[in-house]
Amino acid sequence: MHTGTPQDGDLHFEVGQLTRVEGEGSLDLRVAADGTVAAQLRIFEAPRYFERLVVGRTPDEVIDIVARICGICPVAYQMSAVHAFEHLLEVEIDPAVRLLRRLLYCGEWIESHALHIFLLHAPDFLGYPSALEMAHDHLELVSRGLSMKKLGNRIVAIVGARAIHPLSVRVGGFSRAPRAQEFDELYSPLETAITEAEATVKWAASLDTPPSDREPRLVSLRHPGEYPMSDGRIVSSDGIDLSPDDWRSAFHEVQVPWSHALQASAADGVPYLLGPTARVALAADQLHPRAAAALKATRISPEALRRNVFHSIVARAVELLHALAEAADIVASYAPPARPASAWKPKAGVAAWATEAPRGLLFHRYKLDAKGIVRGAQIVPPTSQNQAAIEHDLALFAPAVLHLPHDEATRRMEQLIRSYDPCISCATHFLQLKIEHDR
Amino acid sequence: MVTAAGTAFLPRARLDALLDLLREGGRTVIGPTVRDGMVVLDEIATVADLPVGWRDVQAPGRYRLSDGHGDRVFDIVNGQMSWKQFIFPPRQKVGEMNRSAADGSVSFQPSAPDPSRLAFIGVRACELAALGIHDRVLAGGTFVDEDYRARRDAALVVAVQCTRSASGCFCTSMGTGPEVRSGHDLVLTELDDGFVVNAGSSAGERLLARLPGRLATPGEEASVSAAVAATRAAIGDPVATNGLRDRLMDQLDSPRWAQVADRCLACTNCTMVCPTCFCTSTSISSDLDGTVNVTERVWDSCFNPGFAKVAGGDFRPRREDRYRQWLTHKFATWVDQFGTSGCVGCGRCVTWCPVGIDVREELAAIAPPALPVERPFIRPAAATPGRFEITTLRASHPETSDTATLTLVPSEPALLAGLPGQFVMVDLPGFPAFPISVSRYATDHLLLTVRGAGPATAALLNTPIGGQIGLRGPLGTGWPVDRALGRDVVIVAGGIGLAPLRPVVDTLLAEQGRFGKILLAYGARTPADRLFTSELTAWAERGMEVLQIVDRSGPGWAGHVGVVTNLLDQRDLGSRPTIAFVCGPERMMQATTSVLRDAGVSRERLFVSLERHMQCGIGLCGHCQMGPFFVCRDGPVFALTELGDLFTREGI
Amino acid sequence: MVATRPPRVGVVKLASCDGCQLTLLDLEDELIAIGQRFDLVEFPEATSRRSMGPYDVLLVEGSVSTPEQAEQIVDLRARTKLLVTIGACATAGGIQALRNWSDEPEWRASVYPRPEEIASLATSTPVAEHVTVDAELRGCPIDPHQLLELLTALRVGRRPQLPDEAVCAECKRLGRICVLVAGGTACLGPVTQVGCGALCPAYLRGCYACFGPRDAANTISLAGWLGQDRTAVEVDRLFAGFTGYAPAFREASRRAVEVMQPPARRRRSKGETT
Repeated sequence: MHTGTPQDGDLHFEVGQLTRVEGEGSLDLRVAADGTVAAQLRIFEAPRYFERLVVGRTPDEVIDIVARICGICPVAYQMSAVHAFEHLLEVEIDPAVRLLRRLLYCGEWIESHALHIFLLHAPDFLGYPSALEMAHDHLELVSRGLSMKKLGNRIVAIVGARAIHPLSVRVGGFSRAPRAQEFDELYSPLETAITEAEATVKWAASLDTPPSDREPRLVSLRHPGEYPMSDGRIVSSDGIDLSPDDWRSAFHEVQVPWSHALQASAADGVPYLLGPTARVALAADQLHPRAAAALKATRISPEALRRNVFHSIVARAVELLHALAEAADIVASYAPPARPASAWKPKAGVAAWATEAPRGLLFHRYKLDAKGIVRGAQIVPPTSQNQAAIEHDLALFAPAVLHLPHDEATRRMEQLIRSYDPCISCATHFLQLKIEHDR
Repeated sequence: MVTAAGTAFLPRARLDALLDLLREGGRTVIGPTVRDGMVVLDEIATVADLPVGWRDVQAPGRYRLSDGHGDRVFDIVNGQMSWKQFIFPPRQKVGEMNRSAADGSVSFQPSAPDPSRLAFIGVRACELAALGIHDRVLAGGTFVDEDYRARRDAALVVAVQCTRSASGCFCTSMGTGPEVRSGHDLVLTELDDGFVVNAGSSAGERLLARLPGRLATPGEEASVSAAVAATRAAIGDPVATNGLRDRLMDQLDSPRWAQVADRCLACTNCTMVCPTCFCTSTSISSDLDGTVNVTERVWDSCFNPGFAKVAGGDFRPRREDRYRQWLTHKFATWVDQFGTSGCVGCGRCVTWCPVGIDVREELAAIAPPALPVERPFIRPAAATPGRFEITTLRASHPETSDTATLTLVPSEPALLAGLPGQFVMVDLPGFPAFPISVSRYATDHLLLTVRGAGPATAALLNTPIGGQIGLRGPLGTGWPVDRALGRDVVIVAGGIGLAPLRPVVDTLLAEQGRFGKILLAYGARTPADRLFTSELTAWAERGMEVLQIVDRSGPGWAGHVGVVTNLLDQRDLGSRPTIAFVCGPERMMQATTSVLRDAGVSRERLFVSLERHMQCGIGLCGHCQMGPFFVCRDGPVFALTELGDLFTREGI
Repeated sequence: MVATRPPRVGVVKLASCDGCQLTLLDLEDELIAIGQRFDLVEFPEATSRRSMGPYDVLLVEGSVSTPEQAEQIVDLRARTKLLVTIGACATAGGIQALRNWSDEPEWRASVYPRPEEIASLATSTPVAEHVTVDAELRGCPIDPHQLLELLTALRVGRRPQLPDEAVCAECKRLGRICVLVAGGTACLGPVTQVGCGALCPAYLRGCYACFGPRDAANTISLAGWLGQDRTAVEVDRLFAGFTGYAPAFREASRRAVEVMQPPARRRRSKGETT
């Protein structure tokens, strides 16, 4: 429902419920008489108290529980948690286990990116309310998306038993490691999907993109030897470079009165952007050669990719290709670990880690007691970190569309919000909505 | 080369030669192998796939494996799953029931029996006995499971005599082992440095003749006897089997059933790991339009909720009912049904019960040893595969607000050749098959009177005129109308129970002079719930006494109000030879038969028709069991004398 | 019989992770055909089309955990012919239902700096505690095959085939080795309803009851058996999972929550649980 209610010379846009995003949120935009724009992204997910739910649990139980924060990116939650625990407990991880985890994560990236590109975001660019309507005219496009999405799900299911809330990730490794022949079914679909993803990058770059200009502060992981995913230091486009252990020295969570979720913020208060655009910008040199080549062929400059928010669909397509290509490499060389999981001993301390969820950096921090029982937790999902950047970009973008008919202006702003692939279910803690009146 | 069909010795190092021989002709060799630290039965490519050096330790509810115990190949005893999974797979496609999207026509394509050829290695004596029992159950009766028979006929069986036993073993008590006596093609007995090999069939003799190695020495043969005798001694005789059938059936009211039910999880594990349990259900997967409907036969269990459920309720609602059904079936009524115990003493139900319930303890507690009584009973073997035939709906005549009589025209005349009281299984695309009694046979059609009690019957009633419906039958026993010759006949019907009795009326009226007086007592909930109302009048005009009664009166009703037994009170049915046929809700039949007996009708001339959960209709799926009976095959019509006190007992 | 007018279908959520409604989008091979046979009039996660109903079928994900949701579900029920709850949150209250035994204000304070601004019910409850539910798909998440069977059954007119047997039955049919008997692993399979395809034992871990207690689950017997090798707290904690508020698991869950998560001190030491 899109309603506009001009009040006292001020313009008030309200998008009642954002659609084609995961979870429930809404946008409140106020344009004052003097032209100043204030954007407020509200989240009205019901509180589920995950940080409290994990108290009293063992690390393995926590891995099962935090998956349930988000049905779209459960692997991300499991990966941040399991790595945090293993980091504290100093568990030695078999290299084959490490690769298998990366494969699992690739599967989730493929599923999530394909879902977002084809089913949630493409309808914005092509002018349909949903992918199902879009399929009437663009069946081939939707089918291509569905087949890639299915492949991502299949990878997660082979490694983790099922596509949503996989269940094999354990501290030290996996409850069971697949035999090599279980991946045989993937070879040919992966080859096909890589070719289709190359076409997808080209297609995404060809989309008619609204003008948009910004200079975002970008944040992602950085690892010396691999594209950011499950391991690395936290870096930014303006010089931040720290271990996830020190996340709190540069970031913190604040409660903003207009938002329902705790927002994460950098120490200096400058909004920052996570996700595919940030990763592609900060780790372009580490993209799989096929992904790098496809990006280069688009002739979109790194600067344009970074500055135009609507190019995020290109960055996401590049990462879809990267994840497919990396998954194919891992599958081709896979040999099961000698043991599916390494043994570990409980230890008291603080376990912190960050990994890259499909939509950006996901930070976990747990306090464990000497028996290995969790006594406290902090979970900072990417969307709560992106929230300030989304609001910032909306305020910047709004003046360009305010002259359009109200529905069209609203649609454009929704499209912008969807560029971040916001995953609102992920927000682990929310605030009661308070409607602010212009006075 | 062993040239004579005698006793051979195969050095352990040459076991691969046996595997090669078994593989000839494209056979896949299946045997025990260790996977993820557990023993499973799966394809054996080389000797290294067999569990060399592994041993198991078993206890109720506990199984552990360890390796490094030398180089013996077959030191593990039974693993979790039996060979049943290969001969009688857990899920097996039985056919497709499809509806043409173009013209709505319906077709049924039964699946062809599985053509795969397997060779089993490592089959123990108790397992051979289990295969023999399945041969009787699935391929030894009137109806034969063709897929089972094809797989069984194609399989080669290499048995192994047990030189170790597990704590759950009691083959010695059940008379099935540890000695391998029959049912095998080859049998191996493992000694320190190899295997003593004997043949048990002509196919086995041909294999044996081509096996490398030499004749076994008398010393080796003596070692075999000693090893197997040691196994027998280790197992002992844990279950007293003398008269076990009667001892158990005398204890249907034992307090122990409730005690074991406190521990029992009704989780189905004992039935799933049992090598002889054979109960199945059908599961249907349809495409979104219901045009393609694949039917699978799926292992089911008498412990499952819904297993004995009909629209009106569950015949075995409590865990103790289900445990009693399982145990009495396995050790008692199985004997009535198939002439053998259903247990081979493999011990799986003991080891794999998640809470360690030991069937040997339960048997000893429920039915302590007593004097032996044997009741051998062997059913004649016949082979008439039942398949669905397509019929066309010619007309639908409403009887009451929720009931209608359908006129179905079959292409297969056998469908018209049924007896009064028999039923057909009805198959609609997308629905599990269900039983409906035939309410009239005519020259080119039959009538089914159907109450819309659930989605499937509703779908049947909604079938458009000209639509196609699959039928299998007529099935089960009918009313013994021949025994009514020269006798007075009392027909008592409650509600829709009149439908299976109408063919009786048809038969009696067609040759009225050959029978005595005919009385129909019919009870219904309300006047509007009565079936065949115009015929009721016509029957009375033809000389039958027709009495009617309703629970609740309604507009225009001037007749009796009350229960159907009111119509029979104070009647003298004992002074003339009388036979009675009763059909209706189970409680109504219990009350009616009691009144009829009081009125003088003898038990052996009192017949009832029972309703039970049926899925196959031919005595293979196991759902409709009631004590020793499969209601679909041995009933639905029973004499009261056959049923005994099973008829009035709860939870059977 | 196949209906002629495509049924109007809504997919909505309460307190949940979105995974169960994602399962509909995860039917990749059938999704387009489903879209042709069902009129998806309300499904905010997937379409910008909106509808206030009436709905022929409404799939409801999530538990009732705020005052707004308690009103919303009554309102939705009034506009729906066939209301189907999907997933452990909607059918059993979800993992968040473990707060039902806790000091809810204290939990709120442990997560939110200004707890007074949070409107949340003290409990997270299954939809059936608020309105009549016509059918349910269990699971955390639901099983795609069961979802497809539900949709197919709606089209064909049959009762959906959703078995209520124990996980063990399917586990054995699939030939998986019992992790409880052969591995000594705690497994809730014998008391849990089947539906997932017995995935945990296939991956060599114990079932953790995503599909909730089965009909007549004998939890006392299983808990007693597991208690031979575990402390009472460890056994209780097994039941305090994603379906811990389901009646058969409730008592064990309550005890587990009381031990696991004693009310923290009001004044939090700065830092650990922000």
